Amino acid sequence: MASASAETASSSSEIATAAASPTTERRGIPAAQFVEDVQTFLSQLDLDVNSALAFLQERLQQYKLVEMKLLAQQRDLQAKIPDIEKCLDIVATLQAKKEGGEALTADFEVSEGIFSRARIEDTDSVCLWLGANVMLEYSCDEATVLLQKNLENAKASLEVLIADLQFLRDQVTITQVTVARVYNWDVHQRRIRQAAAAAANES
Amino acid sequence: AEKSDTVVTWEDQQNINKFSKLNNRFHELEDEIKFAKETNDNLEDAGNELILTDEDIVRFQIGEVFAHVPREEVEIRIEEMKEVNSKTLEKLEKEKETVLAQMNELKKILYGKFRDSINLEED
Repeated sequence: MASASAETASSSSEIATAAASPTTERRGIPAAQFVEDVQTFLSQLDLDVNSALAFLQERLQQYKLVEMKLLAQQRDLQAKIPDIEKCLDIVATLQAKKEGGEALTADFEVSEGIFSRARIEDTDSVCLWLGANVMLEYSCDEATVLLQKNLENAKASLEVLIADLQFLRDQVTITQVTVARVYNWDVHQRRIRQAAAAAANES
Repeated sequence: AEKSDTVVTWEDQQNINKFSKLNNRFHELEDEIKFAKETNDNLEDAGNELILTDEDIVRFQIGEVFAHVPREEVEIRIEEMKEVNSKTLEKLEKEKETVLAQMNELKKILYGKFRDSINLEED
């Protein structure tokens, strides 16, 4: 383990420059540049320490905003998926009842706290709410197919969203570590200057 | 040797990133496990209520409505739901263990290199 890491450390500078920006951005989120050496980083940006820190902080704020947006989208999707599953459940129940030849009696909510009884007999078709004040009638089979497709799309979107969030978190972590390193480097520089000044004063 | 002399390599950065992601997943898992346990309790309560009731037709929630379902069918449905839920809970608990183990491994590596310069504990 120790020898392997020593090896990687020596060749890491070459690998790092290539891998430092494996993706420059993802879906509009800029990637955080991994800093090999603070000195080179600062001269590359041509900024002094305070400006560099301000720039990094601003980046962190931007990342935070995007994270809020993505988290809200994730919550919506996570609520939508069980809803679609419930719909599939009902359609399946209606189909099963139809095969049994019985009517389905159900209590449904008319208004908050008020329920009414319904007897559902002919269950060849169901109406699906498509959004935008549109409701369409489908046969039970068609409805199942459509709902299944919606469920798969929702799950796929959720996966992509989670991957986006992970990418974002990586960039936030990299930026936070860079902030710490720039700050520490600055403290280190000040100490060197102070020591040099003290030595100069003595002589 | 001063702290600021420690070089942070890309490999270190990737380890830190991985730890952060694992930590987030750990918290998500705790929430999911809590929810699964609550569902389990609810299903248990429902099962118990079913035993106590003497009605033949039970109002069983499917989607947004309460369908009139014969008691035996409700029993079977609840058993099925409990099965599914236990499996989910088991899977989540296993994942949580794996995540914790990976986090501990990374802690060893990162503390080993950075010692006091890094803090990987929960606030």
